[in-house]
Order: sequence, then C-alpha cells, then structure tokens
Amino acid sequence: MNETNPTPPPSPIPPQIPPVVPSPLAAARPLGENPEERAPITSPVAAIEAILRQPRRLMYQLRQPGAGALMLYLLIIAILCAVVYGVVVGTFSGKDQLWIAPAKVAGGMLVSALICLPSLYIFACLSGSQARLAEISGLVMGMLMLTTILLIGFAPVAWLFSQSTDSANWMGALHLIFWFIAAVFGLRFLNAAFSHSQARSNAGFNTWVVIFMLVVVQMTTALRPIVGTSADFFPKQKKFFLSYWGDCLKEGADAAR
Amino acid sequence: MQALSAKPTRRELSVLLSGQVDSLQSWSAQWDARRLGLHLGVIVAGAGLYGAAVGWWRDPLQALYTAIKFPLIILLTAVGNAMLNAMLAPLLGLNIAFRQSFLAIVMSFTICGAVLGSFAPVIAFVVWNSPPLSPNAGESSGAYSFILLTFVIVIAFAGTTANLRLLQLLRRLAGRRNVSFRVLVAWLVGNLFFGSQLSWILRPFIGSPGLPVQFLRADAFKGNFYETVFRTAAQLFNLH
Repeated sequence: MNETNPTPPPSPIPPQIPPVVPSPLAAARPLGENPEERAPITSPVAAIEAILRQPRRLMYQLRQPGAGALMLYLLIIAILCAVVYGVVVGTFSGKDQLWIAPAKVAGGMLVSALICLPSLYIFACLSGSQARLAEISGLVMGMLMLTTILLIGFAPVAWLFSQSTDSANWMGALHLIFWFIAAVFGLRFLNAAFSHSQARSNAGFNTWVVIFMLVVVQMTTALRPIVGTSADFFPKQKKFFLSYWGDCLKEGADAAR
Repeated sequence: MQALSAKPTRRELSVLLSGQVDSLQSWSAQWDARRLGLHLGVIVAGAGLYGAAVGWWRDPLQALYTAIKFPLIILLTAVGNAMLNAMLAPLLGLNIAFRQSFLAIVMSFTICGAVLGSFAPVIAFVVWNSPPLSPNAGESSGAYSFILLTFVIVIAFAGTTANLRLLQLLRRLAGRRNVSFRVLVAWLVGNLFFGSQLSWILRPFIGSPGLPVQFLRADAFKGNFYETVFRTAAQLFNLH
C-alpha cells in the first residue's frame, strides 16, 4: 500500500481573507449608471433640484458634450442668489448699501472663483484627475450655486438680525458664519465630484480648499465695507483680513466702554 | 493607458502634470517640434505671469521686467546646463541620449511653469491687498516679509512638484532607484548653481522703492551670488 501524504489536521483558525480596502477616492458607482442620472437638465429649476437631490446627475451632465447651457444656468442662478443675499446684507445699513452690498457680494464671489480656478485645475491634474478644464469650471459653478442657494435659505434669519441689531461687527460675523456653513456644503459637492474623476489623492484638493477660503475671506476685507457704510466704493487703505478684524474688534471694544 | 495622438493637445498638459510615466518616456525619446513649442510656451506664459504678479508690487514696469526675467532664468538654465546634464547622466549610470536628458528637464520646467502660472492670480490678489512698498523700511516690513514668504512657498511647491515628476521619469528610464536619485541630485545641484547666479545677474525681481526701476542693476556683472553670501556670512560672524 502506498503511503499517501498525511492530510494536515484542520486548522482551528479560519482562513484569513485579505480585506479589500477600497481607495478612499473610489466612487461606489460610476456616474451615469443610474438611468435617472442620464436625464438631461434642461432648465434652471431642474438644475436647482438636481444639485439638492441628485448631485450625481449634475456631475454626470457636466461631463456630456453641450454642457455649456447647463453651466450658464448654474452661473446665472449663483449670481442671482448672491445678489439677493447681498440685498439682505445691505438692509442693515440701507440706502446705497442696498445696491453696493449685492454688487460686492456677487462680484467678490465671481472674482474669488476666477482667481482660484487655475490652481484648482492644476491640483486636479497633479492628483491624476481626468477632468477637463470645462468640467472643472462647471463643477465650480455648481459649488457656487449650491453655496448661494443655501445662503438664500439663511436670508430670512440674516434679515431679522439685520433689523434688530446695531452692531456692524456682529452682523459681519453672522454673515461670515452663514457663508462658512453654506461653503462647507458647496465644497462637499466639489469634493464628491472629484472622487469620480479618477484622482489618486485628495491632498491637492484639500490644499486648494484652504487657499480658496483664504481668498474669499480676504476678498471680504478687500471690498469693505459690505455691511457698514463708506464714502468710497473701495477702501483706500490695503489691509489683510486678520489686521482688519483686529481693528474692528478693538473699535467695538472701545465703543462698548 | 490612453493612446495619445501624434499632435500635441491641451490634454498633454494634463498628462504631464499627472505624471503618466509611459507617455513622458515616449515623449522624451523623440524630438517633436510642436510638443517642444507647447512646453516652451507654457514655461514662458506660466513663469511670465508669475513674474508679472511678483514685480507688480513695485511698479507696473517692474512687472513687465520680471515677467521677462522669470522665464529667461528657466530657459537659460535648461539650455546652459544641457550639455553638462547630458554628460552627467551616463556617468552616473543612466545611459540616455542628450535628447532625452534635455527633454526630461524641459518637461519638468514645464510642470513648474504651469504651477507658477496657476498661482499667478492668487499672488496678484495678495499683492493687490498689500500696502505699497515704502522707502521707510518699518512701514511695510511685516507685509514685505509675508509677501516674500508667499512667493517662496509657491516657487518651492512648483519646484518640488516638477522634480518629483522628473524623479518618476528618471526611475522609469534607469530602472533603479539609486541611479535615478543620483542623477536627479546631480542635475539639481548643477541647475541650482547656475540658476542662482543667473538670478543674481538678472536682479531685481521686486526692487527697492529707494532705487529706480531698472531691467538690470548697473553692477549686474560685478561679483556673484556666492561671493555676496560668503561676505554677508563673514560680516555676520565678524570674520571680515
């Protein structure tokens, strides 16, 4: 009788299956897999619906040829919402601020996005993203639209405080807080879009977010005053935002004494 | 890997920045006048825009001068050190032709130029928000330091990114990490040595409010960067 290799005793430890660790940036499903995402967005109202309820549909449609019309909707809605919120900001001081504040809010938002768009494209490319410049521009417009739509949501609260507060510093801080909350959602949309663009890492995007936030905050100082009043449209003195905030706090403390 | 058309396109910049080594390796293997033109164009435009943003703090004319000087330094460094870099590579174990070493370095400078150009609007915004340069050193010294630091951080980021991509390409060409690292360090040392002296000759880039706006200082060709550093260090330690 031939000897056979003895069968090893069964191990009490079950075989270890190596865990499949998905890439942190790998999307669960590719864009366009759901038929609803492939339905084109043909009106501004549909664009607003999409960004709030079906952001993947918006991301997918921005990749399709002929997304120019969609990008135009996003841009126009963002500008309109920024203007409306700017009017609410201007109600604190009234008079000329009712047109100056919306002009500064909308203009500052657009210029900040334009300043930061080239570096976003470069960071996207460095991360391995396959997104084209047009698509990235569309996503930035989507981010601006979501941010400003959320600001419209805060508008009644902001208006109420504007009518019952005398402190420009306090109102400025409140508007910044509302903007920050809205911007977080807008940037979350942008981050989600990048996770679908085959980017290998989000380090570049995170760096860009810091740059973008700093530019926007500095823009509020460069265009001051937005809440208060001034004889000049643009300030005569250049200041960095930390210095300006320090001066405002000091003035507020002096006035309170 | 997507096959790229023979004609250079705007997507090539994206491929260059994302470091698709297969493509970079094939690009470095052949002369392509249009691709080389695209790369040189990106260097001139990107570094030029960044230089303009930097020089604008002093004067619009300084912006023009610095917009010319930044790309000039990059291009002169690439061309001036081309033969040296081509010779160092095989001596250090990477057997590539002059064409490959030159194109690899041009591609890394293209990445640097693209990154610098993308930050030009941010730098221009920082400069726009800064108090103007003042002859009184105390008035703008804090802002001056902050702006200089911002310039340096962006340039360092652009340089680091470009050299990381170059290292990836050299690793593919060499097949060995130590060889690619040796070649990169040798090229860096040579380019920095040559480039720093070029920068010294081509100063100022921002300029001083106490001095007129000039393309070159009258003593541009007198002395060198390392002599000045040595003299300054000697004075600091009271050795001179």
